Amino acid sequence: MTRYIIRRLLSAIPLVLGIATIVFFAVNLAPGDPTLYFLSPGMTQDVIEQMRVNFGLDQPVHVRYLRWLGAMLTGDFGYSISHSRPVLEVLMDFLPNTLVLSACALFVAFLFGIIIGTIQAVRQYSVMDSSMSVVLLFFYSMPSFWLALMLILTLSLFARNVWDLPIWFPASGIVSVDYDFLTLSEKVRDRVMHLVLPTLSLALVLTAGIARYMRGSMLEVIRQDYIRTAKAKGLSEAVVVFKHALRNALIPVITLVGLYIPVLFSGTIFIETIFAWPGMGRTIYDAIFIRDYPLVMAGTFFFAIMVVVANLIADVLYAVIDPRIRYE
Amino acid sequence: MKELLKKGLIGIGTVLGLASCGGSDGRIGSSDPFCQQVLPAVEAFMTQASEAYPTPDEPRYGGTVVLGTIGDMPDGLNSAVSSNYSDAQHQQFVGLMTLINYDARGEARAYLAEDWEVAPDGRSITFQIRQDVRWHDGEQTDAYDVAFTYEAVTDPLTAFPNAAFWDHYVKGPDGVEVIDDFTIRIRLEPHADFMDPFRTLGILPEHLLGDVPHDQLKLHPYGTQCPVGNGPFVFAQHIPQDRWVFEANPAFPEALGGRPFLDRYVYRVIPEQTTLLTELLIEDIDVYIAPRPDQAQQIIDNQNLELLNFSGRSYVFVGWNARKPQLADSRVRRAITIGTNRAEIVEAILQGYGQVANTGVPPFHWAYDPESMPSLEYNPDRAKVLLDEAGWQDRDGDGVRESEDGTRLSLSIKYNTGNQQRQDIAEIMQQQLGAVGIEIQPQVVEWGTLLQQINTPELRDFDGVVMGWVVEFKLDDIDLFHSERIDQPYAWSGTENLEIDRLLEELSITADRSEAMVLWKEYQELLIEEQPYTYFYFPDRLEGINRRVKGVEVDARGEWLNIKDWYLDPASR
Repeated sequence: MTRYIIRRLLSAIPLVLGIATIVFFAVNLAPGDPTLYFLSPGMTQDVIEQMRVNFGLDQPVHVRYLRWLGAMLTGDFGYSISHSRPVLEVLMDFLPNTLVLSACALFVAFLFGIIIGTIQAVRQYSVMDSSMSVVLLFFYSMPSFWLALMLILTLSLFARNVWDLPIWFPASGIVSVDYDFLTLSEKVRDRVMHLVLPTLSLALVLTAGIARYMRGSMLEVIRQDYIRTAKAKGLSEAVVVFKHALRNALIPVITLVGLYIPVLFSGTIFIETIFAWPGMGRTIYDAIFIRDYPLVMAGTFFFAIMVVVANLIADVLYAVIDPRIRYE
Repeated sequence: MKELLKKGLIGIGTVLGLASCGGSDGRIGSSDPFCQQVLPAVEAFMTQASEAYPTPDEPRYGGTVVLGTIGDMPDGLNSAVSSNYSDAQHQQFVGLMTLINYDARGEARAYLAEDWEVAPDGRSITFQIRQDVRWHDGEQTDAYDVAFTYEAVTDPLTAFPNAAFWDHYVKGPDGVEVIDDFTIRIRLEPHADFMDPFRTLGILPEHLLGDVPHDQLKLHPYGTQCPVGNGPFVFAQHIPQDRWVFEANPAFPEALGGRPFLDRYVYRVIPEQTTLLTELLIEDIDVYIAPRPDQAQQIIDNQNLELLNFSGRSYVFVGWNARKPQLADSRVRRAITIGTNRAEIVEAILQGYGQVANTGVPPFHWAYDPESMPSLEYNPDRAKVLLDEAGWQDRDGDGVRESEDGTRLSLSIKYNTGNQQRQDIAEIMQQQLGAVGIEIQPQVVEWGTLLQQINTPELRDFDGVVMGWVVEFKLDDIDLFHSERIDQPYAWSGTENLEIDRLLEELSITADRSEAMVLWKEYQELLIEEQPYTYFYFPDRLEGINRRVKGVEVDARGEWLNIKDWYLDPASR
């Protein structure tokens, strides 16, 4: 197992480098450069040239590529032009926020997806099954940014101003303005409250997909002979479903972890913008517009690594779930 | 499975927990060594100042105002390198101090400089610096700070964005002389509105930045990570893309009004305007800077909120590339302008929050006098006549005019992605100009690409472009229309008109306003004749504000202009 993981990680190195190289040229060859954003009246070509020199953009693209590659391999990601600080510091500010949000969304999506899918399979063709299918399809076909706006409208604006509910969720940010003055338990509550809407916006769409997969997979499993045997032994339905069937039904669903991580990261771009969540997706998106080359490079590099790692985790999870799968 | 779930939960809990450990009390800068060094001094200064200057026992003092806007401040308080509007506002009114500022009529009044004197020959200004202003780390603000700032911003290595400010000033160390600790002389050639730079330029601390090479100022942590100012508010925290927190400066000079009424002021970054409006409506933020015109009614309809508006310092126009053969004749450009119903478009796009523009002299400016100008009213029949005269006629009956040699009068209008107002302009023009025989093709281009296409002198790859422009109180169109600047980025129109050159030159050195007024009139008449641009509108700046915030004044000087006089209704705290 360890050898397998090491082998996978080693084979990921050329992959990640390849991605980084493609992104480098894509970003650097796009029209425009960062100085255009700092242009203002009265600025002559000399000043613009001076800025280019200050940013190190006066070199030809292949020289910049080699420099960037050399620096990156020694762990130096350079300076972010739009944030005026080392790229690594910028990433450390934003990456944790994105990870928290993605992890919560992934957790919620799988938890509910698995539960709902299982219920649907066990009660196939019941009213509950059909009505759940309709609801899931509703969320599945909804763009997440629109869902986000609707959640803000209902659970935040209407809940407070129209329906006068005792509880409503903050529409943006990660913590309240008075966060620093709260006690520990209030701080935790404050963070959770701020997480609810963005997590739901990201998770609901995924939940729907996972539940569909789970339902199909579960249906297949509960028709197997060993399930009939277990039932015939007189085991209760709960034990049969949760102990014998669930584990087997999960195997195809686990594949989705690896597949959904990139989906999540691209989803965070919109969700982070709408909820003013200071995360990586939004930061890279802005950086692309400002042609903040070093930041775009480092950001995509980290995303690439995370996707590779997530896929590895999914593969390792197979072995955890299914003892028959071994990587020796 | 249960175990897995448990592990998952613990994992998420750990991440949450770790993330929530980030915050701590006090001033939060980054781990940068510069910040590690300066922030304790600020902390000490604040402790000392709060004891030395206790908050007056008056109900207006106290509380936090939260303001929301779509963008972070990219360079923060680093006035030597910033070109962003919010940055400039915070340098002028929040964290730093400028030598002078303007009253409501646009007249200079004392601020960091308690007095100043212009030499009789107009070739130098001598400023007396206040002696009671301290940097937020306890150091005194003096003439050396002013000298340092002046030398830094006039040095080309710094790449100070608004270089036009110093066109008629003596740049670098030769231009500035420290006479004593609180007296400084700056040299210049006499010119129009020469005091204006000192209204916008926040003075920077020499004792902290004096050793930084000028080409490194842009990347210095001072601006956004741990700015040490001397203004009414003290920097407390900046979480990038999320918020800035400022606290009242207890030691702000009594003569300038003493400490601000507010205890804290929070600047929040919320990039999505729908979310911003929601936050204002659910009273999570008190101030929403620059809502869209279509959001105005919802703010007006809410009894807890108020909508402020003022005529801002920007305008929107379509710039024409006169280098193109179809656009070389000014009659064609005039036909385009009067063939477009601009009044109707402005009403539709801005819902009344703005005024039709005919030239680039905005309503807040003393030379603004639209009544005395020739009219550019919607007149499609006259537009057709102008096009006929210029030799553009529909020779093949396809509805689009051609020149004698068969060139079709077909123009593209570019605008940037995601800007609905500019898209509307291009699309309505397409429809209205089609009726007079001009084919318009709206074309959307990503912002960075668009800038490159229109700003690169060798490229100028556009016929028309919908753009916005922000002006200072010191109005100066030299970059736009002077033929000597034709190879500089902003000479979009490629105008070459000796009369315009002469007027622009004279305007830039005419300090007397009544003399200048005549020149401005002449210049604007020429602009209307020449039509390098089809000017569209001066949009109003809107601001949604919770009624519990009192004392807010806004005008062309900016939304933050009297933030130290804002206070919260005591009943609402």
